[in-house]
Amino acid sequence: MNPFLEPTRRQFLGHVSSGLFGVGLTDLLGTSALGSTGRSILGAHFPPKAKRVLQIFCPGAASHVDLWEHKPMLEEMHGKPLPGEEDFVSFQGKNGPLMKSPWEFSPAGESGKMWSSMLPHMAAHADDIAFFHGMHSKTNTHGPGCVFVNTGHATEGFPSQGAWISYALGSLTDNLPTYVAIPDIRGEPPNGKANWSNGFLPARHQAIMMAAHQPIRNLETPKGIGPNGEKGTRDLVEFLNQRHAAARPAETDLQARIESYELAAKMQMSAPEVSDFASEPQHIHKLYGTDSSNELTAAYAQNCLLSRRLLERGVRYVNLYCASRASGVDGLLNWDAHKTLKADYERHCPVFDQPTAALLTDLKQRGLMEDTLVLWTTEFGRMPTRQVGTAGRDHNPDGFTTWMMGAGVKGGVSYGATDEFGRRAEQNPTTVWDFYSTVLHLLGLDYEKLSFYHNGIDQRLTDVHGGVVKQVLA
Amino acid sequence: MMCLSTRSLFSYAAATGIVCVCLNFPVRAVDFAKDIQPVLEKKCLSCHNPNNAKGDLSFSKAEEVLDPERELIVPGKALASDLYLAATPEEPGEKPYMPEKGEPLTGAEAALLKAWIDEGAKWPEGLVLREASKADKTWWAYQKLAEPKHESIDAFVEERLKEDGLSRNAPADRRILIRRASYDLTGLPPTPEEVDAFVSDTNPDAYSRLIDRLLASPRYGERWGRHWLDVVRFGESNGFERNVIIDNLWPFRDYVIESINADKPFDQFIREHIAGDVMGSGDPKVEIGSAYLVAGPYDNVGNQDLKQKAQIRANTLDEIINATGQAFLGMTVGCARCHDHKFDPIKQTDYYQLYATFAGVRHGQRVLATAEQKMDREETLRPLTGKKVALEGQMKKVEATVAARAKENAAQQEKNWTEPKVERTGTEEVFDPVTAKFVRLVSEATDTNPKSGSGFRIDEFEVWSQDNEPVNVALARNGAKATGSARVIEDFPDAYGPQLAIDGKFGARFMSTSNTLTIELKEPTKIGRVFFSSARGEETPGHGKFVFVGEYRIEVSKDGKTWNEVANGFDRKPATERHRMERLRRAVQTAEESNQLAALRKELAPISKAIAAIPELPTVWVGTRSAEDAKGPFHLFVGGSPQKKGAEVVPASLSTLSEVAPVYELPRESGEKKRREELANWITHPENPLPARVLANRLWHYHFGTGIVDTPNDFGYMGGRPTHPELLDFLALKLKESGWRLKAMHRLIMLSETYQQSSRWRREAADVDGDSRLLWRFPPRRLSAEEIRDTILAVSGKLDTKMGGRGFRLFHYMQDNVATYAPLDTHGPETYRRAVYHQNARASVVDLMTDFDQPDCAFSAPRRSETTTPLQALTMMNHQFTLDMAAALEERINAAGAKTPDEKVIVAFRILYQRPPDQEEKEISIKALSGHGMTVFCRAVLNSSELIYLD
Repeated sequence: MNPFLEPTRRQFLGHVSSGLFGVGLTDLLGTSALGSTGRSILGAHFPPKAKRVLQIFCPGAASHVDLWEHKPMLEEMHGKPLPGEEDFVSFQGKNGPLMKSPWEFSPAGESGKMWSSMLPHMAAHADDIAFFHGMHSKTNTHGPGCVFVNTGHATEGFPSQGAWISYALGSLTDNLPTYVAIPDIRGEPPNGKANWSNGFLPARHQAIMMAAHQPIRNLETPKGIGPNGEKGTRDLVEFLNQRHAAARPAETDLQARIESYELAAKMQMSAPEVSDFASEPQHIHKLYGTDSSNELTAAYAQNCLLSRRLLERGVRYVNLYCASRASGVDGLLNWDAHKTLKADYERHCPVFDQPTAALLTDLKQRGLMEDTLVLWTTEFGRMPTRQVGTAGRDHNPDGFTTWMMGAGVKGGVSYGATDEFGRRAEQNPTTVWDFYSTVLHLLGLDYEKLSFYHNGIDQRLTDVHGGVVKQVLA
Repeated sequence: MMCLSTRSLFSYAAATGIVCVCLNFPVRAVDFAKDIQPVLEKKCLSCHNPNNAKGDLSFSKAEEVLDPERELIVPGKALASDLYLAATPEEPGEKPYMPEKGEPLTGAEAALLKAWIDEGAKWPEGLVLREASKADKTWWAYQKLAEPKHESIDAFVEERLKEDGLSRNAPADRRILIRRASYDLTGLPPTPEEVDAFVSDTNPDAYSRLIDRLLASPRYGERWGRHWLDVVRFGESNGFERNVIIDNLWPFRDYVIESINADKPFDQFIREHIAGDVMGSGDPKVEIGSAYLVAGPYDNVGNQDLKQKAQIRANTLDEIINATGQAFLGMTVGCARCHDHKFDPIKQTDYYQLYATFAGVRHGQRVLATAEQKMDREETLRPLTGKKVALEGQMKKVEATVAARAKENAAQQEKNWTEPKVERTGTEEVFDPVTAKFVRLVSEATDTNPKSGSGFRIDEFEVWSQDNEPVNVALARNGAKATGSARVIEDFPDAYGPQLAIDGKFGARFMSTSNTLTIELKEPTKIGRVFFSSARGEETPGHGKFVFVGEYRIEVSKDGKTWNEVANGFDRKPATERHRMERLRRAVQTAEESNQLAALRKELAPISKAIAAIPELPTVWVGTRSAEDAKGPFHLFVGGSPQKKGAEVVPASLSTLSEVAPVYELPRESGEKKRREELANWITHPENPLPARVLANRLWHYHFGTGIVDTPNDFGYMGGRPTHPELLDFLALKLKESGWRLKAMHRLIMLSETYQQSSRWRREAADVDGDSRLLWRFPPRRLSAEEIRDTILAVSGKLDTKMGGRGFRLFHYMQDNVATYAPLDTHGPETYRRAVYHQNARASVVDLMTDFDQPDCAFSAPRRSETTTPLQALTMMNHQFTLDMAAALEERINAAGAKTPDEKVIVAFRILYQRPPDQEEKEISIKALSGHGMTVFCRAVLNSSELIYLD
């Protein structure tokens, strides 16, 4: 038996794995007799439907009633108070009357899903998406909200979903990181790097940040060290470390460290190639909109293309952001349309629509969608009312939409719903924990078994909650 | 409840199925206490208890369970009782409806339950059921410290080894021993000279003197202070969405280092953490200890939603309760927030007693100074403030005269204001056609502030050509360029730039930080009209995000140097009443008055400057205390929700330890200070066995890599069991005997043979005890993130040992509403201090430190991970820091007088590993050095495993 795979620590006892699906060498690192955290890969609990995950995150609380869940009652009752909650106070203060969506909805696809005219390209995928319209959150604040949707906990310090999956399933390739976070060109989402943190899991499960506009840190050999110098360094490091390890044959850490240098070298070879789009044909660039005259669209389109290239090359989890944080001035940096919903979303929707639709199309036409699970998330929804004195909507943690498509997911399904105004999840209310129970299920993982002991509790991505939503499974 | 009612419609057939199952078991007289109570407590009460009440049901009292309206249990009729029906399967072999989580009833349990109901469901009078935790007050950790049966650490360890047929390794090599001890106590490598001296010192007390020397070094407090900072989740940003950096919490870090260096009794140290501001009131050196309370993350985004606000406040106190339970008591009190602890005997009331205790604590800063410091400052300030007030009074007098005259003269002025007010949705100026290459908007005042022109916003500024078919020549796509200083956010610089004013779109706008917007046309053009706005097409233009110009001039130029005014807004009605007054005032103020005011301002300036020059009293992040927040009564929150208040609680000791330690309970009206003082004294009470056990275990953990209990923050049921329980108690007693002084404990542990043995691996021992938890060998380890950085600096001769004060940063800090932390590509000499002085912000990823498992300080971190990842290799190979240190190391080697490659390699090995190279190492190193140069050689050795692993 491979000595790296020997479970050594108590927290791993009880996690019986039924096999290691697609484990890369990277996963064999980090075990030791030196008191490290033991066996690094658990393996799937049962045969998975999906091998890898693409999660698209629109931070700022993208409005469910303007993008995904059509509410005819808002048109009917536009300008009238929300019955039963006439003067309610939410995150930023008092709410005014109901406000209809500034955009038309019309049927899309064979499913006839009512579709916002702001997302014309996305309509092509209407029949493949399973919507979760009954989502609700426990916080109305962006930072904790984003972290909640990414870690299952509204307070800081917990591992993100990608870290859990890296911990559970490991990598599919030796040449690239297991888990990549792609921030928007406008900056990091609310709560920044906590969204892709390893939390209390070992550091190797953190996401590596990269984007079309931002290479992986410390990837390049420093200027002044030529190829010869690089080889000279590596040879001497290898010699010294092999000798040191040879004198301590039982310390598996030391061998792992030597391998980590080999992996780093592989990554240095592979990562620049991933970000080099020169080999992509013109029609692909056009499909995504990488050369759009709108700089934000072009930047996001490039990140979409990068996502596909990463997934294609074996990255397990890609966490792609469309927009960044609250600027404190206006809604230009993300989907947080407090004051001017129409103007804000007329800016954000075109950035999101074509490139995202193109990415989905591209995953389909390459057959990648067969074993890729695509998630679309945001931290919560927006109020059906206008904020007093504005033409925008305040935060609404009580109802919002997320969706998934791809491997193992039934398309053209809408699971759950908010009430007739979009104010509260009413039909099949769904939590973030249910959502991730379902994600883990599709990855061959039992959400109740995937755990890690920390400060008194066997912690889980789904906290002490969760339940697989079978209605969206193909 | 709704679900249970549905279940009562079950078919009879289903019920008979159950009867079949039951028939397998002999039916005997049912004993409630023996047969029913444990089943209910174990399988039902974890959700259906008064504190949680899932489905609005609680099964703890007879009146709840036997409530005839609910038909949970119908005495005499099990098959009509919802509880029974829900807890047994509809069809044999199926999963029953309840319990939703956990094991269903066994056949025997179901049969007994049925029999009990059928026999009339007798519930002993007044009996209240509670969910049983897995461990009770007899749990090992809550017992008195046991009298030791041995007199030395080695005796305990040997006894345990023998049980498994194991024995200790031989003593470690002296070079290895001094490296181990130096890192262990100071976090730094020994110098080659220190190693030589120790290796050749044959005096029997050489090692003991080495330990004394290391303990006396100020580096000791830095190393062990860092351990403690992990435990108390010390972080220097508030976390959550805004994650703003905190620049004045470092005095707490210095306090920790100083206290540990001074070997302050640790029980006193703990008390100061919880109530230093009470016990040491007026003494900043003691008060600072209580900064512990607010050293954790907290959510500081303002929230108008009252329910959410209450929840956030509860989360903030929860963070303090959690940290306190873990750090000082090894108890996971936080698990009792929503219900009684599932595993340990910690009641939900215990949790809320602590809630009441800490309720007055608020995050924030305040002046931390002695009475003398305060008085000194006050005295220096007094004469200056007096002068300032007098001068300001004179100015106000002049201004009042002007204002009075302005009012009298108002009618005259108002006649000139014939045009409508500025409009944010669109303001137009038409003027005599003029040829211009440049057009600019000069803002004299914004429409919200008559005194300042800066800060206006423009979504579009149009300049129309004077033509048959007029064209907006200001558009970028028509070749124009816009300039003007704008609000900049560093990580997205163009977000508010002047280009937005000429992009033909209205959604985004230029946000000025000066008073002009200038547009350069493609070519000189005849123009006659401008049209500009900040809220074009908006429904609610009055909103603050659309601040516009209030008073303005439009100027044109041919060369961009000489400007001619072609229009202004002074003939418009004033934007607001304040604008009106400002205009009127300006119109009547005489030259003499202007001079008077100017003279007064001139006189005031140096006084204001002198005031500003007097140093502020030190303001420190020790938190504030709110009497209002501390006001009772307090209640437990059912299910953890502040919206569901349960029974009243008062500040009190934890019931968990009521059998071994004294108890206290304070009245509802007790003062905020008293509550924390009482808690501090209770935690450190000589009869409370936990703090000494927990601390002794932490010491063991840091010395040997794993504690006697391998979960140092959790001595409960979910935590590890002690490998050497008697040794743990022995150490705890020694700690108390020594007056809670750590240095005596380090000596005791490090002078043991157990500590001094080698780390040699032996298969036959490893087969029995692979992790060496029984200590048949000394467990080798990798250095921590801090040790690695400090070591690289130390061996390169660059380590700056300056202690204390403001920390350095390995990130660039950016703030635009929320904070962003970007790791630095180069690390200047100001970062060459020990890593304990790094300003550790939450959720900030900083290369080497994060790669090597420095924890994010969101939680108390009782132990560090040791992972190996390719990222570490990338950072260590490619970050500029490595190259800078390689150059420094080269310098140091040269400075040592090494000239030939041979000499250089020998010196390098001495510095890095405190040993000479062997023949092969020497040859290969010389080859690399000669073939590729010193930079390559130094870069390689800084990446060597031997540098960062200890035997």
